[in-house]
Amino acid sequence: MRALYTAATGMAAQELNVQVISNNIANMRTTGYKRQRADFQDLLYEHVRRVGTQTSDQGNILPAGIDLGGGVKTVATPRMMSQGTLSPTGNELDVAIRGDGFFRVLLPDSRTAYTRDGSFQMDAQGRIVTAQGYVLQPGITIPQNSHNITINAQGQVSVIVNNDTTPTQLGQIDLANFIDKAGLQAIGDNLFIETPASGPPQVAFPQADGLGDLQQGNLEQANVEAVTQISDLIAAQRAYEMNSKVITAADQMLQTTSNLTR
Amino acid sequence: MENALLIGLSRQVVLQRELEVIANNIANLNTNGFKADGSVFQEYLMPGARSDRFIGADRRMSFVLDRATWHNLSQGPIQNTGNPLDVAIDGNAFLAVQTPQGERYTRNGALQINAQGQLVTSEGYQVLGESGPIVFQQTDHDISISREGTVTVKEANNVAEAQRGKLRIVGFPQPERLVKDATSLFAAPAGLAPQPAAASAGIIQGAIEKSNVSAVSEMTRMIEVTRTYTAVSGMLQAQSDLRRTAIQQLADVPT
Repeated sequence: MRALYTAATGMAAQELNVQVISNNIANMRTTGYKRQRADFQDLLYEHVRRVGTQTSDQGNILPAGIDLGGGVKTVATPRMMSQGTLSPTGNELDVAIRGDGFFRVLLPDSRTAYTRDGSFQMDAQGRIVTAQGYVLQPGITIPQNSHNITINAQGQVSVIVNNDTTPTQLGQIDLANFIDKAGLQAIGDNLFIETPASGPPQVAFPQADGLGDLQQGNLEQANVEAVTQISDLIAAQRAYEMNSKVITAADQMLQTTSNLTR
Repeated sequence: MENALLIGLSRQVVLQRELEVIANNIANLNTNGFKADGSVFQEYLMPGARSDRFIGADRRMSFVLDRATWHNLSQGPIQNTGNPLDVAIDGNAFLAVQTPQGERYTRNGALQINAQGQLVTSEGYQVLGESGPIVFQQTDHDISISREGTVTVKEANNVAEAQRGKLRIVGFPQPERLVKDATSLFAAPAGLAPQPAAASAGIIQGAIEKSNVSAVSEMTRMIEVTRTYTAVSGMLQAQSDLRRTAIQQLADVPT
C-alpha cells in the first residue's frame, strides 16, 4: 500500500514546515532577523499507463494516462530578505540599514560574516563591535575622551574629541550586497556567510550602487509577521492531521483485507 | 462461482490506486503550484460463457478498470508574500523552465537568483525569457515584474529603469495532456507544442499560487474509498461463506 508512504512524506514535510514557522516565531523580536519559508515540491510520478501510448493499429492514442505520485519533498527554506520595520532606540551606536546591504563583521577565524543587526557596542580598545564582540569592518576606533558619536546616512562616523568644536572624522562604514541574498548561509548570532549561491560580496558605501542608507539610533526589527506565521502554522497543522488520516484510511483498508481470511 | 470474487477484487485494486492518488494530493496540500489529480474508471465488459448450453443468453460480467488519472488544472488560491521574486500566474498559462531533460513548464513561481545572476526555480533550473534566460547584474535592485512578464530593475544609481527581459508565459491548446514530471514541473508530450499564452493570462508579482488541492473533497473521497473497500470486502466475505456452506452441505452425504 503505497498510500501509507506517500502520506508519511506529507507528514514529514509538514513537520519541517512547523519547525521553520516555530523558528520564525521564536525570532519575532530578534534584531535583523529575516524570516524563512519552507518550499515544497511533488515527488516522482510512476507512469502506470503512459499518456500518448498507441492503443490500436489505427493510430488511436491514450488521451490521458495513469500517473501515481509518490508524495512531497522539501526543496528549500529560502530566507525572505525584505526590510524589517525600524524602531528608534536613541542609542548612538544602534544603526539600522534602510534598504539593501549588510554590515561586514570579522569573525575570530578571520572569515568575514555579514549581518543586518546594527546593535553595536564599543570594546575596551574603543573599536566598534557587535554584541558578540566581533569587530565591524572596516575597523573604526573611537578615541578616548570623545563624545557625541555621529553616524550619518552615508556611514561616515565622526566624534567630538575633548572640547573641540568641529567633529573629527574617524572613517566610513561600508556595506556589502549580494546578487542572491537568499543564498547566504545563516550561522547563528544574526550572522550570515557567503556561499557559492550568494555570489561574492559587492562592497560599497551606503547610498551608492543601490545600497540602502544608515539610520543612527534605530534598530531593524525582524521581518516576521505574526498573523501570517500563525495562519501558516494552522495550515501546516491541519495538513499534518489530514496526512495522518490518510495513514489511518490505508491502515483500515489493509485491516479489512486481512480480516477476509478466517 | 469465482467471478464474484474476481469482480470484487478488480474494484479493490482500483480503490487502492485511488487512495494512492488521494494520498499524493493530501501530501501536496502545501506545495506551491501543485495541481490535484483525479482518477477515472471504466467498465470492462467481459464476454460471458458460451450461451449454447444454457437456456437464454448468459449475462456479461462487468469488471472495473482504472483508465486514467487527470490533472485538475483549475487556479489555486493566490497568497500574498511581498517577496519580489515570487510570481503567481493568473489564468491558464505556465512559466517555461530549462532543465537538463529539456524544456518543462511550471506554475510554481517561487523564483530565486543564482550566483551567476540568472533567474532560477528552487531546483536551480533557469527560468526562460522570450529571448533566453533572464540575467541580472550585480548592482541591480528593485526588481519589478509586470503583468505581461516584463522584468525591469533599477541599475546601481540610475534613476531610469533597465529591462532585463520578458518571462516566457506559455499556454497549451490541450493542457490536460501535459504530464507531471515531479518537482512541480509539467512536460509536454509529443505533438503538444507550447503557444504564447492568451492575453487574459498574466503575472502577479509578490504573490504565490498555492496548491489547488481541496482538503474537504479529498477527505470525502478518502472516506468514500475506505467505506467502499470495506463494503466490497463484506461482499467477498459473503461469497466465501456461501461457498463454504455449499461445500459443507453438498459433502453431507445422507446415510
